[in-house]
Amino acid sequence: MAARVSLRNIRKVFDDGSGEPLVAIDGISLDAAQGEFLAIVGPSGCGKSTLLKIIAGLIEPTAGAVEENGRRVSGPPERFVYLFQQYSRSLFAWRTVLANVMFPLEQVKGAKRTDIRETSRRLIAQVGLAGFEDKYPWQLSGGMQQRIAIARALAANPDVLLLDEPFSAVDALTRMELQTLVLELCRQNKFTAILVTHDVEEAVFMADRVAVLTQRPTRIAEIVPIELARPRNQLSTRENPRFLELRHHLMTALLGDMAEAAR
Amino acid sequence: MKETHVAGIIGLVSVMAVIGFWEFASDHRIVSPALLPPPSSVARALVTLIADGEIWQQLLHTVALFLGSYLIACTLGIAIGIWMGCSEFANGLLEPLVESLRPIPKSALVPALFLFLGIGPLTMVTVVVFAATFPVLINAYQGVRGLDPVLSDTARTFGCSRWRTIRSVVLPATLPAIFTGMKIALSLGIVLAVIAEMLAGQSGLGFIILDTQRAFQTDQMYAWVVVLAAFGAACSLLFDRIEKLAIPWHGR
Repeated sequence: MAARVSLRNIRKVFDDGSGEPLVAIDGISLDAAQGEFLAIVGPSGCGKSTLLKIIAGLIEPTAGAVEENGRRVSGPPERFVYLFQQYSRSLFAWRTVLANVMFPLEQVKGAKRTDIRETSRRLIAQVGLAGFEDKYPWQLSGGMQQRIAIARALAANPDVLLLDEPFSAVDALTRMELQTLVLELCRQNKFTAILVTHDVEEAVFMADRVAVLTQRPTRIAEIVPIELARPRNQLSTRENPRFLELRHHLMTALLGDMAEAAR
Repeated sequence: MKETHVAGIIGLVSVMAVIGFWEFASDHRIVSPALLPPPSSVARALVTLIADGEIWQQLLHTVALFLGSYLIACTLGIAIGIWMGCSEFANGLLEPLVESLRPIPKSALVPALFLFLGIGPLTMVTVVVFAATFPVLINAYQGVRGLDPVLSDTARTFGCSRWRTIRSVVLPATLPAIFTGMKIALSLGIVLAVIAEMLAGQSGLGFIILDTQRAFQTDQMYAWVVVLAAFGAACSLLFDRIEKLAIPWHGR
């Protein structure tokens, strides 16, 4: 299987000129196959978000390269979209829900206004926000705001989703709804997805493979395949003994790493 | 609710008290009524100004000078401020210039402008534009510099062109800061418009206030000051209305 996204020995060193340079990421190589759902978990401050921003082309790595379909990329790749943890800051407060979703479509050359509107309405319905088109983001709840961000991301016609702890700021029930929604969208559209999270259960629930990162300087500790059946279900999947085993295994790896760091 | 009522009543009482004392002081010649005519005669003078329509004539001149200059200043301030915020080149080019011109009280430049532009409308417009541009420019610039990195990252992940990012993300996101600058420019602009009319005008509120003072028509002079105050208050109220409509998300 061809890798849709490849990381080739990524290093990131922060050097602000004062004192010792900080090695954030110390050589990470990782592949995401076409259509695969890859999760990256790690202790907080290990540079997960930095790694995802490097994949998104928002940050330059100090060394190494990101490749898509085997070609080295520089700058944000066209068919990648990024879902931010801070969805409320990522949405355009001055645009209605409809206008937010229309945003990526407006820069498609030769697109007709009526078509853009039509497509946007369809995407808004797809994320379950039909009827809220004329509201402003700040008039809606956190979960609904992240749905707007998802619809807006879909409007960019992506095939790779980069998810930067996108559900960590909403309540537990909403989080489950959004997880299911994103999995369903990935299934329908055959997206490749890379999810960064500190929530091990979320990683196991959503991913095909989970990469565990170490403390700084960050490397990959291990990669765990998650062979749970799809479509995943918030009740039956989470109650599956295999789910609990995988969760246990990953938690042990993470806690062990933290204990080591404390020693 | 009740407390604001009480505060409102107290405020009203204090204004009434001042006007009452003013009337008393003038009637009993504690101050010469020639210098400070009683509020009743100022009010009579004001009614006459409104009745014979002179108020509109003078007001129109000030409004035209102020509004024209203010709009030019806002356009310049927003354009240059955003350009400086977005481009290191523009910032390097203009920042020393802006920083050295900014602290000069713009009224001090009026005599120099007389030399170059003559005593007339061109000087008046220039000085108001000059004064009102800086607060808008500085606030627009700082607004761009303080732009939420999540927003600029969002624009980048959608592959927005530089121009589209500025027009569709930076400009609207900076509007609250721009409005703060425009609010400062509003009061500054009115002050400079009045000073310009006093120094170089043939008409307008500033001119007429100075003119009536020279003619020793002090009751009329104060009546014009009242008109000017009302004009300032009306501008401020209108501005707040427009601001609420333009940036409804601000403060949420």
